[in-house]
Amino acid sequence: MAESRVHKRDERVAPSDLDLVRRIKAGDEAALAQMIERYHARVYSLSYGVLRNAEDAEESTQDAFLTLYRKIGTFDESKKFFSWFYRVALNQAYSRLRRRKPQARLSISDHLPRFGDDGKFAPLDWPDATVAVEDEASARELARRAGEFIEELPRPYRDVIWMADVEQMPAAEVSEVLGISIPAFKSRLHRARLHVRQRLAEISRPTARKAAAS
Amino acid sequence: MKKKKESPAAAESCHSHGVTCERLVMEALYDFEAGTMPEAERAALERHLSACPPCVRFLDSYRATGRTLRALKPREIPASLARTVFEFVKARCEKK
Repeated sequence: MAESRVHKRDERVAPSDLDLVRRIKAGDEAALAQMIERYHARVYSLSYGVLRNAEDAEESTQDAFLTLYRKIGTFDESKKFFSWFYRVALNQAYSRLRRRKPQARLSISDHLPRFGDDGKFAPLDWPDATVAVEDEASARELARRAGEFIEELPRPYRDVIWMADVEQMPAAEVSEVLGISIPAFKSRLHRARLHVRQRLAEISRPTARKAAAS
Repeated sequence: MKKKKESPAAAESCHSHGVTCERLVMEALYDFEAGTMPEAERAALERHLSACPPCVRFLDSYRATGRTLRALKPREIPASLARTVFEFVKARCEKK
C-alpha cells in the first residue's frame, strides 16, 4: 500500500504554466505559490539587471507578481506565459528605475570600434580595440564595471544583452519576450557586446600603458 | 618592451580574402561566434584571422567580455524571497 502511494507520487507531473494560470484565475492560492516558486529567481535576476541593486530588485519582484495576480485575467492563453510575464516584470523594473533617478544614456554608436577607410582598425586617438580586457583587472571589478556599462546603454540594447549574455536565455526566447525579430536580436546583441567590450578596453588601457612603460 | 611590428606580408594577406577587420568585427563576428555562418564564409574569416593579429586580439577580448558578462548574474537570490513575495501579494490583495 505504502509502496503504491510512493509510486503514484513519482508519476505526478509538474503543472504547466497554463494550468497554473487557469488555477490562479480561479483564485487558487496554492497555484500562485507554485508560480512564485517557479519564477521568482528568474524575475529577481531580470529585475536586478535593470536596477543593479538587491533591495530594489526584491521589491520589483514583489510588484511583478502582484501585477501578475491582478492582471492575470487579461493574459491571452494562446500566447506563451513566460513572454507575457517577463514583459510585466521588465516594465515593473523600468518603472521603479524611472522613479529612482534620471537616466543618462549614451548612443549605441558612442563606444564602438573604429576603422579606417581601408577597413583596418583605426590607429591612435582611440582606445586600443585589441586590448585583452581580462588581463588588466580582477574579474570581480571587471564584472562590476561591465554592469555599469550595460546600464548606460539605451534600453533596447540593454535588455537584449542582459537576457542573452547574463541570463543566458536562448535567442528565440529573448526575441519573443521583447517582440523583435531574430535579425534585430542579433544586431542589438552584437552592438551591445561591442559597446561593453570597448568600454572595458578603455578602462583597461591606462593599466596597459603603465605596464608597457615599466 | 617594444611591440612587434606587423610585417607588410602579414598586412597584405590580412586583407587578401575580401575580409577586412571592419567587416569581421562589425558584420560577421556574431554569426562566427554563434556557429551560424556558412562554411565558406567561415573559412574566409579564419584565413583572415590567421594573418591578422589585431583581429585575433579583438576576438580574444570579445570572448573575454562574454565571460565577464556571465559572471554578472546575481548568484544569491534572497533565501526567503518566494515566501516574502507570496505574503506581499496576499496582503495587498486582501486589503482591496
